[in-house]
Amino acid sequence: MNRLPNPAWLIPGVLVLLTLGICSGAVAADTTAGKALFDSHCAACHAPGPGHAGTQRLAQARGAAKAALEQRTDLTPEYIRSVVRNGLIEMPPWRLTEIDDAQLDQLVQYLTRPRK
Amino acid sequence: MKQILPPDVSAEQFADALQAFRRVVGDEYVYTGQALAGYTDPYSIVADDEAHAASAAVAPANTEQVQDIVRLANQFGVPLWTVSCGKNFAYGGAAPRMAGTVVLDLKRLNRILEVNEGDGYALVEPGVSYFDLYAHIKAKGYKLWLDVPDPGWGSVIGNALEHGVGYTPYGDHFAMQCGMEVVLANGELVRTGMGAMPGSTTWQLFKYGFGPYLDGMFTQSNFGIVTKMGIWLMPEPPGYRPYMISFQREEDLAQVVDILRPLKVNMVIQNAATIRSLLLVAATNATKSQYYDKPGPVPDSILRKIMADQDVGMWNIYGALYGPPPVMDTLWSVIRDSFARVPGAKFYFPQDRKQPNDLLHARAETMRGVPRLSEFSFINWTGGGGHIGFSPVSPIRGTEAMKQYTMVRDRMHEYGFDYMSIFAIGWRELHHVVELLFDRRDPAIKHKADELFRLLVREAAAAGYGEYRTHLSYMDDIAATYGWNNHALMKLNQTIKDALDPKGILAPGKQGIWPARYRRN
Repeated sequence: MNRLPNPAWLIPGVLVLLTLGICSGAVAADTTAGKALFDSHCAACHAPGPGHAGTQRLAQARGAAKAALEQRTDLTPEYIRSVVRNGLIEMPPWRLTEIDDAQLDQLVQYLTRPRK
Repeated sequence: MKQILPPDVSAEQFADALQAFRRVVGDEYVYTGQALAGYTDPYSIVADDEAHAASAAVAPANTEQVQDIVRLANQFGVPLWTVSCGKNFAYGGAAPRMAGTVVLDLKRLNRILEVNEGDGYALVEPGVSYFDLYAHIKAKGYKLWLDVPDPGWGSVIGNALEHGVGYTPYGDHFAMQCGMEVVLANGELVRTGMGAMPGSTTWQLFKYGFGPYLDGMFTQSNFGIVTKMGIWLMPEPPGYRPYMISFQREEDLAQVVDILRPLKVNMVIQNAATIRSLLLVAATNATKSQYYDKPGPVPDSILRKIMADQDVGMWNIYGALYGPPPVMDTLWSVIRDSFARVPGAKFYFPQDRKQPNDLLHARAETMRGVPRLSEFSFINWTGGGGHIGFSPVSPIRGTEAMKQYTMVRDRMHEYGFDYMSIFAIGWRELHHVVELLFDRRDPAIKHKADELFRLLVREAAAAGYGEYRTHLSYMDDIAATYGWNNHALMKLNQTIKDALDPKGILAPGKQGIWPARYRRN
């Protein structure tokens, strides 16, 4: 006869699953927020493909592999923060009223997200 | 970062003012030090980095806070420079005219207060960008079109106040504004037009109200701070067809403009069509170094190669048809037959343009009010980011267009710059918007560009051409060219300024208008 497990033993497992669920949900939510910020603040210049001045410029200056920001894996949080706040040659700086520090963190999280 | 103070304000007074501002907006919305990086002019042409440096910035959340800040500024003698979205790049961005001015950043006033689909208007605050309003209209499913300038991140209010233009039939943005709410220099709140009548239902429908029409006073000026504005929106038309017409020879410009004038004045050309020079079109697709790697302007032989490679003309009209298909068919037959008289004219619709980054595909979006930033690609022509617009106005006449073109082109070539421009067609005038590109990191090039710009202003004025808009650094120069009858207009502006703003708080130096307090300098 199969015995049902003691419910007490289930509690830690449920907690682990819940925690994982919440964490993965939280990570997904943060990335989603960062992606939304990228779409609203950055994509008009930095989305992949033609018609995007920033992508075009990066392709000219650094090569096709570094043209589209969302596809890059070499961007560090410090670099992103510095370029957003101070600008870089063609790109103007962004003010705190346009993207605050919490939003910038979300954007950084999206652009530096782990890739498969 | 070095602390810069407003003129005649001590460090202690300034600290007290900032503390008072903080009590109004909260500590986190008063910016100093490193947080001011976004209030610099990223494309500054002048050698002096501090010429337009802000002393601080303050970002109120609503109109009441704007009023409070203005009253405090009067109390402490601290000048304010208002920006809305702060994206007026090539004209100074979010930087103030006078070093030491506090930037009053209205980006947080970002509410879309009303969109009325039936009557076709929106009522917005200054922090609402074209991207914001477009997204709102799409999300709500309104059958309305915006009119947008090339940079979609700009403020709907700010662009209209600066006399900006777009490319649909509603392209004259100030002509399409209706009703303002304005904070005066003493902190009082005023509504213009029908908005002055309590309970009025026509604030955004009838511009003129009763009495003098004052709205123009608050454009390109420092007489008040606009905190709400109505903007008319175009009902979505039943049909839309963008087109491009190219012309092969430099001298075709005269004939093209003469053909264009009656078509525009009679509304056969319905929208704010543009004539774009070869290199401005080519620069959205290619860089200079792909074609020419020597110093100086691209020579004629290379221009011909670019024309062939990209299948574009020396001049290129981008326009669009709007309305029921039979109407568009009829209008197009008139437009096509008119320009077919120019030898070598070629006619295109978007499906005829095969290159993925072809400008007609971008224009097809812009001319139906979809905000974008894609036209900034032209800055990549030489790289280095710096760009400034020289924008003289002329009649819509072929001889005038050719005179302006040759005058500016020759000077630009003499100074080693490529000529690239737009002739934007208004109701009775041509805006000749010339883009001067330079490497913002190269002081020698910047010095050259500055010298060239000042020369162009003088020569244009001598020929009777005035600029309609300019960068912070040239506001005094351009204002001085409007000097008929011993500068009577400027004297009137100063009289109004001193009456409305006796302490000289609002945007000193804007458009060359200095309050009495600073005129002694």
